[in-house]
Amino acid sequence: MTVDLTAPAASADPYAVFEELRSTDPVHWSEAHRAWLITRYDDVSDAFRNKAFSNDRVRPVLARRREPSAASDVLGLLAGWMVVTDPPDHTRLRRLAAGAFKGQRIAVMGEQITAIVDSHIDGFLAGSGEQDLISEVAYPLPATVIATMLGAPPADRDRFREWSDELALVAFGTGGAARADRHERALRGLREMDTYFHTLVDHRRRDPGDDMLSALMARDGDDLLSDDELVAMCALLLFAGHETTTNSIANATLALLRHPGQLDRLRADPDLIGPAVEELLRFDGPIKVLNRWVVAETEVRGKRISPGERVHLVLASANRDPERFDDPDTLDLGRNPNPHIAFGKGIHACIGAQLARMETRIAVARIVERMPSLQLAEEPVWKDVLASRAMDRLVVRHL
Amino acid sequence: MRIAVDSSLCEAHGQCGVVDYELFPLDDDGFSAVGPSREVPDGDEATAELGVASCPARALRVLP
Repeated sequence: MTVDLTAPAASADPYAVFEELRSTDPVHWSEAHRAWLITRYDDVSDAFRNKAFSNDRVRPVLARRREPSAASDVLGLLAGWMVVTDPPDHTRLRRLAAGAFKGQRIAVMGEQITAIVDSHIDGFLAGSGEQDLISEVAYPLPATVIATMLGAPPADRDRFREWSDELALVAFGTGGAARADRHERALRGLREMDTYFHTLVDHRRRDPGDDMLSALMARDGDDLLSDDELVAMCALLLFAGHETTTNSIANATLALLRHPGQLDRLRADPDLIGPAVEELLRFDGPIKVLNRWVVAETEVRGKRISPGERVHLVLASANRDPERFDDPDTLDLGRNPNPHIAFGKGIHACIGAQLARMETRIAVARIVERMPSLQLAEEPVWKDVLASRAMDRLVVRHL
Repeated sequence: MRIAVDSSLCEAHGQCGVVDYELFPLDDDGFSAVGPSREVPDGDEATAELGVASCPARALRVLP
């Protein structure tokens, strides 16, 4: 048996595949992925602190390239991201970035985010009939939030969406000549992004504000982020904070529409939104799989895992593990405690988790409140991708 | 105000460190290094409560 998580049936209902893997082969070598699939909660948790599993995934690829190509400068930008570094480089970047993501800094942005959410919902409610909640609300929303947080002029916000798509295309690789052309165009777009963010950084160095980019310029003792590192941080914020948040909002809305009892419960008790979003992230979160490279011999549940291999930590499976969660396939908005790992765990735990929570809470709360007659208009189609749990469209009706 | 971690409950989710890495330091493996009694500087009480509430394992608490 070899499992392919990007097969259409597995993309449509990955949870049935995960259940099978957890019970029959929890550390599964998938020939299709050329990687180990780790699916139980405890094993995924342990893997987050196993030093044999490295996040340093881009630099080795760059080092293997003999000649610099058009892609090198953009890949160089990606290679510096703290999500693809190990300590001590990671520790330094994370510490320098942490101040900008502090709980209190995020908390004061609630009003601003609510205004952005409401303006997108206004646009949606102005339309009628069947509409796609993703293209109208869930997709543009996080790009607008990120552009606003970085202090970019409102007129530039559409470009953030394009760059976000281009970053995803380049970061997740392409494979195959058919997509080489798109890849090349994406790289051109990203060089433009690089220039744009450098200009933004110059501007903020001279004229700091209360935006996140200015906060990222803060010193940690004698240390501070260089201009190139700030540009990489802007790109990372867009890459890590856009599609994931889109999927959080869309998947949460779908789960509520499919569980009318829980939707009514949230309508009757809006204060439930905090635990509700945690449960929605556990139940059908935005990320299915995180990757690690194996850099030392290790063993997981009796399986020998060797350097040079890859492991896929299946977050979406861990979050449905009956060993950890009672009735894991039941959506219970009041679940407490809820130790889900939708944001990962340990030193690489999502630095933007507080921001993502706030965006998702506000978006879901406002959708529930402002669209009392919301209905699913067609069965959603899931993208055949490994990393994300993502729909193409979420077509709904509101009266 | 003082805060504490119950190390037997901490699972290294790292969510408190996301809220404030100075109030909620983590060790090299991502476990809380808050210890049995850590002083919260004046003015940081709200952040401390946010961080305590962020723990999905309920390992953190505000000391009475």
